[in-house]
Amino acid sequence: MSYEIRSEVRKLRFLHGEMTQEELARRVGVSRQTIVAIEGGRYDPSVSLAMRIARVFGVPVEQVFTLYDTEDERDSRVRSKQSDAQRIIPPGRTRS
Amino acid sequence: MRSSVAWIRWGPSPVSTIAGVLVIAGLLLSSVISYWFLALTAVGAFGPGILREFGWLKDQDEFKRRAAHRAGYHAFIVTGLAAFFIYAYTRSGGTFEVATELSLVYLGLLWLTWMFSSLFSYWGPHRTAFRILIIFGCAWGVFNIGESLTNPVSGLMELLVLTVPFFLLAYLSRRWPRVAGVLLIAVSLFLLGYYFYPGHFGWAPVLTKMSTAILFAGPLVASGVALLRPREGQTVAESDRPDEHHESAQAVGAH
Repeated sequence: MSYEIRSEVRKLRFLHGEMTQEELARRVGVSRQTIVAIEGGRYDPSVSLAMRIARVFGVPVEQVFTLYDTEDERDSRVRSKQSDAQRIIPPGRTRS
Repeated sequence: MRSSVAWIRWGPSPVSTIAGVLVIAGLLLSSVISYWFLALTAVGAFGPGILREFGWLKDQDEFKRRAAHRAGYHAFIVTGLAAFFIYAYTRSGGTFEVATELSLVYLGLLWLTWMFSSLFSYWGPHRTAFRILIIFGCAWGVFNIGESLTNPVSGLMELLVLTVPFFLLAYLSRRWPRVAGVLLIAVSLFLLGYYFYPGHFGWAPVLTKMSTAILFAGPLVASGVALLRPREGQTVAESDRPDEHHESAQAVGAH
């Protein structure tokens, strides 16, 4: 099992009047580099910081950060590719 | 104009400035007056970390603290490995000509590992690797140009053999990071093997060889390993531009 946290911080900043990274960083009490790292998926914030960010946007923390099962996602991607392939090449026929 | 302001803002923090001054002052005074002034260097290098651990200095947020802790763990792994090899070397009859300098080699290894790991966390591995290669290329370039003043032909040859490959690797690291990573590790291992092969550079003391290996091959190995890691999301430096939020807004808008 492998999990990944994905953040919607960038989108929420946009939806909140194009809030700058600097402004968000100031309001939650971290450096701008931290916000950049969170948005880039290089840093999973602590629970405290995640909640502070959610509070700034006035939304529940689950709306800012989502837990993804990367294996599930990979499997579904493979399944979708397989079904695409079946649609293009009907069963029983092969590419010449 | 805005970018130059951002660059000024990016400068070192007051704590880093004071620590840097202490480190440099300690090194200078120890070489002129007494080696006991190295205590200043130790205070500059490790003092802020001690204060932070005790909670008396709160100049870092959680991202920077995590980067520092991670770098400390990497330094622990690398220097721990080195300690075992040095122990095995001495127990099997090997000796160091200037044993007092062994601690310097060890400190160099510790500090470089810590620094590179911090930079990899901060800038992201790919950008850090690119910058290391450019810095190395420039350093070799200056050295080779200096050489070419006395001997233009050999200077030019060295420039082609020693300097140009760094810029080529930097270019490759942007276009094909994994290829560049494999090349960097292969080149570093070849150089280390050639350098430490019994009989080669026999005149050089073991400690000199170790210092050279750490200073020259170390950053290249570190960059190679970093480039072989899967590409991560956007790095800090990639969105250091002050107008970053406009671009992100466009991206979200397009989405």
